[in-house]
Amino acid sequence: MNKPSVNLRKFALFSAVSGVVITSSVYSQELQIGTGESPLFEGEQLMLNGSYAAAADTFRMADGLDRNEGIVGASRALFMMGNSVEAVSIAEQEIEDEDYASFPLVSTQLAEVKRSIGHSEEALAILSTVVDGQLEPPVRTLVQYGSLLEFLGRKTEAKNVLDRAVQRYNNGLVFASEDVAMVALASWLLDNFHDANSLFSEATRANPNNLEAQVLWGDLFLEKYNANDAQRSYQEVLDINSRHVPALVGMAKVGGDERSLTRALAINPNSVLALETYGQLLLINNREEEAQEYFDRALNLNPQSLKSLSILAAQAALNQRQEEYERLKARADSFSPDNPEFLGDIADTFGNNYLFSEAVEFARAAIDSDPEYWQGYTLLGSNLIRLGEEEEGKANLEIGFENDPFNVMTSNMLKVFDTLETYSTLESEHFKVYMSGNDADILWPYLEPLLEEGWNTLTAKYGFEPEGPVLIEVFENTADFAVRSVGLPDIGPLVGICFGKVITLISPDTLAANWQEIVWHEFMHVITLQMTNNRMPRWLSEGISVWEEREGRPYWGRSQGLDLVRAAKEEKLLHVKDLNSGFSGARNNADLGFAYFQSYLVVDYITEEYGFEKLVEFIDQYAVVKEESDRFNEVFQLSLEQFNNGFQRWINHRVEEINVYVHSEDVPDEGEGHGHGIRENSSAILAELYNNASLKQHMRARIEENQRDFQAHLQLGIVLFKEEDFEQAKFHLITANDMLPSYTGYPSPALVLSQISEREGNPQEQLKWLEVLLKNLQHDYESALLLAEDALKSGNFERADYYIDRAIQVDPYRSGVHELKAQYADVVGDAELAVTEYEVLLKLEINDPVEARTDLAEAYLNNGQLDEAKESVLYALEIAPSYRRAQEVLLQSISGDGS
Amino acid sequence: MNILKKKIEGFIPERLCIAVINNLLQILASFIFITIVNAQTSALEETADYFLDSPGTGKFAVIMAGPTVGEANQTQFRQWAFSLHDILARDYGYTSDSITLLYDKGKTDSPGEGRIDGACDRKGIEEELATLSSRVNTGDQITIYLIGHGSGAEEEAKFNIVGPDITGSEFAGMLDQFKDQDIVIVNTTSASYGFSTSLSGEGRVVISSTRSPSERYDPIFSRYFIEALDNRNGDRDKNNRVSMLEAFEYAKSNVEAWYEEQGRLASEHAGLDDNGDALFSLNPIVDAADGRLAEIAYIDSAVDEFSGLNPQARPLKFHMQELERDIFILRGRKQDFLESDYWQEMESLLIELAIVTGQFEELIRDSNDRLDTNLTNGQTNE
Repeated sequence: MNKPSVNLRKFALFSAVSGVVITSSVYSQELQIGTGESPLFEGEQLMLNGSYAAAADTFRMADGLDRNEGIVGASRALFMMGNSVEAVSIAEQEIEDEDYASFPLVSTQLAEVKRSIGHSEEALAILSTVVDGQLEPPVRTLVQYGSLLEFLGRKTEAKNVLDRAVQRYNNGLVFASEDVAMVALASWLLDNFHDANSLFSEATRANPNNLEAQVLWGDLFLEKYNANDAQRSYQEVLDINSRHVPALVGMAKVGGDERSLTRALAINPNSVLALETYGQLLLINNREEEAQEYFDRALNLNPQSLKSLSILAAQAALNQRQEEYERLKARADSFSPDNPEFLGDIADTFGNNYLFSEAVEFARAAIDSDPEYWQGYTLLGSNLIRLGEEEEGKANLEIGFENDPFNVMTSNMLKVFDTLETYSTLESEHFKVYMSGNDADILWPYLEPLLEEGWNTLTAKYGFEPEGPVLIEVFENTADFAVRSVGLPDIGPLVGICFGKVITLISPDTLAANWQEIVWHEFMHVITLQMTNNRMPRWLSEGISVWEEREGRPYWGRSQGLDLVRAAKEEKLLHVKDLNSGFSGARNNADLGFAYFQSYLVVDYITEEYGFEKLVEFIDQYAVVKEESDRFNEVFQLSLEQFNNGFQRWINHRVEEINVYVHSEDVPDEGEGHGHGIRENSSAILAELYNNASLKQHMRARIEENQRDFQAHLQLGIVLFKEEDFEQAKFHLITANDMLPSYTGYPSPALVLSQISEREGNPQEQLKWLEVLLKNLQHDYESALLLAEDALKSGNFERADYYIDRAIQVDPYRSGVHELKAQYADVVGDAELAVTEYEVLLKLEINDPVEARTDLAEAYLNNGQLDEAKESVLYALEIAPSYRRAQEVLLQSISGDGS
Repeated sequence: MNILKKKIEGFIPERLCIAVINNLLQILASFIFITIVNAQTSALEETADYFLDSPGTGKFAVIMAGPTVGEANQTQFRQWAFSLHDILARDYGYTSDSITLLYDKGKTDSPGEGRIDGACDRKGIEEELATLSSRVNTGDQITIYLIGHGSGAEEEAKFNIVGPDITGSEFAGMLDQFKDQDIVIVNTTSASYGFSTSLSGEGRVVISSTRSPSERYDPIFSRYFIEALDNRNGDRDKNNRVSMLEAFEYAKSNVEAWYEEQGRLASEHAGLDDNGDALFSLNPIVDAADGRLAEIAYIDSAVDEFSGLNPQARPLKFHMQELERDIFILRGRKQDFLESDYWQEMESLLIELAIVTGQFEELIRDSNDRLDTNLTNGQTNE
């Protein structure tokens, strides 16, 4: 699940309905049943165990003074199973002549059930009667009444009623755990989140079995994006009652766990809460039709399900079905006029679908309808930031934070602003970049030309100039990157995110991947997103970005031939229409990596079979809202199904061309950095740990079985290398390399072959294999450096420059590559480049600042920058006044002798 | 001479000025230069009696490598101790007589046992220190390196040796016999902080690889401290010598970089104390409280730079040293100046030094050339 977006106030009521807490009078009845305990006590125990049917029957047996509480218990138990008809009926039967005031507890339960099935006016009438008819109505009645009034848009009245409940507590008249939890709920509804938190804590301490309080507490945490504490609360409930539906739904909201929802619906098929949560989950996974079914079911059970209506309205608005949107909005307004949460949900949906401008409009509308809807400010602020409107975004986040400091997302995002204040702002012709001082010194010299190259190349290619300047934020801290991107500190393996006008990146300093490829990839998103007004589906946007990696540099991009063969063999290739679910439904990094790869293959297929122009035409299709099949029809004159068939045939042909056998016992390579990092071949790595003799025998048997078993040749080669049987090792490794020369996993045949050459004392052969290695592999710093050193030594400056650049792409923060580049600059007489390199080296130097300063001063001198030369060398001489080389540079800098 | 005096008076108080002038007179008389590299006026007073570093100063090193369990640790400690021994002998003019190596139980199966002078136990330490005490002269410098494990906190902090461990206060008691010598202690053990604080004292340089008792994992500081000495890697000011401050700075920076590269939170933060307050500065270059003694506490002995110079070169050499000293003094008072004034003054001193150095080198070169020519002529004539 991307981001929990829930109408928790609504959930709160649900939770309240479904909870079970029997007050202390449970012990008052003398009637003993079965185990010798009172029906109330036994009913409570059965409820706690999740035996709802038995609990309902047992509660019904309560009589005498316990009668009313027994009815309440039975109604709740029935409701927990989804039998709301019976839950209403049993309560109604108990209340004689609709004299609600005389049966406050039963009436309140009746009202809660009625509200949950969309009869809010009836519920309101019941609660109103109880509150008006009692001098001191029960706390629960007051809070449920206040909650309902707020839901119906009668905020002032709601506040007065809720205040009464809180006042009761302040007067020392609320003791029972259930009532304390209700006061907590009242505080929450009154935006006193701190008090609510404390009161939930008090309620659960007073009665650890108050599951309703625990769930409500979890809901409060979840509303504030505090997933860890929310999960803890739900888990505590499930530890006691594993069949507690609201807790199961809560867990699903925290972790997007479909199984929890399946279980919840198995227990209570009529749980509106579970149904609408399931619907949201299906929508995230692009299973719109199934989602619609769930929302229909939810609305059938509760026509006033605000969440269902707001999500459906959001989908209608998203797909520009204006009439449908208006109808749904009117329907929500009919019972909860101008509900800010309805509009907030729509804003959130638009934001999650990268339509930030629309999200901003809806967030503003939500705030207009209720200026005290603090979540609205967070939604507005976070979406403004994604549009690059930093100042206004921050101002709104601050309003949200001042009034709701518990909202983790708001406070996280504001903390990132504190980090950004320490960052430098750098600008090129088309880009504005925020980065740390360290990155500004070391990365910027290489980032700036790359960005402008990307702009020039890709805008010309796609005939589209995005709105600029494009804002890029490079974060040193992964958590800052995550918060800036999605508001929360953990977003898994992502290393860069594009929002259309804004790109967020993890600094290459904390990354093990090719940062230049990532930048290129993300900038391509800027183009495709802006070309389609951010309406590009993820699979296509990612597919094009990955495809453009390879177009940018021949060694960028992804060569996952083995994975492709494996996926084809296991029939795991997705239908083109399901490609988005490859991303949203990925269970692990390998799945996610393959989703990128298959999306890339589709783009490759389009360009190869239909031409690049068709790709651009296809992108343009997404600028307007229409049926997916129509897009394929218009561009390719094919139905989606026909297009997919053609793609599958093309894939089959490609698999045949690769012509490699993939054994079922080998696991897929696992890549870091969202596919941009090293892909580890764990089978080959483990080969080093195996027993040599048995592994050799096994791999030989595999090769015997199939000569095209790439992994068997590779692993056998590794074992033989370990045994120093270099000739045999080379045979198998060369066989593997010839079989799949584009293999980029680690270790690869070329890598091991280079190691063999090194061991054999054959540096030329070693370099030859490293060159082979780097044709496809982009993550190897050391190999690139070795090749660059060799090229520089032999005077092949073009080649030296190429490999130096390759090393910088992997790690620009290591001094070795800059020392080499400075040497290169000196040798080729590029004084300006020398200055750049010595400037970077100065930042990287920790042991010898005097030498670094003097080198830089010399470079300045050679570049005719006499003042800079003098300044730099004065710093050096301040530390080492007698350092002769520096003294000479000083004298040259003042005499103007820069030759 | 008048010009010289005036310049010095511009920077240092009269009382000290007289002392310095007297020193200079002595220098001129004996052609022995005593380096007084002082960063601050007040610091000058504090450091005047310590680490005078004359060419005749005797330098002694005591390396104590305690016992350990586990082959990896044992190898590492042995490697550090032996490397340190070899570097001191190779690069800094120490001999096996001036280095005392107390290692574990006094023997090892590995090569290099010949370097070991005794066991790192209480008896070995007491005996070797007593022997050393009988050999040293007033003003000699003794540098003690502790390698191995430490434990405990504050006064209970111990250096793990063979047999009962030794506490900081016990060890401090053993060092009392070196009242007339300059002492440097480099404590690179785990949990070294408490032990090191006990050794703090006026005129002593104490380096600890950890800053608090909670830092109790084996530090890697020792590795980089030794690396700083190796090939004079730590020589920051390019005078071809390594001071304790330079070695400390080198090791500290590299330890920080190591932890950063490993992506780990640093479990050690080295500190240095040389003003006797037992408060360790983590950044003595910036923090003016410590560092002034460590800056002039060199590992090797000074070389007599005047011997062999011809009469024309001597005043130039003297002038170079005078300018260098003025630069150090100005640098030490940086905070008393406006930034622009400071750099203006610094620039003029540095330019003058560069010019004078050039003249000096030219003179030496010319005289060498003449010498070569004479020799060549002589050979030709023969």
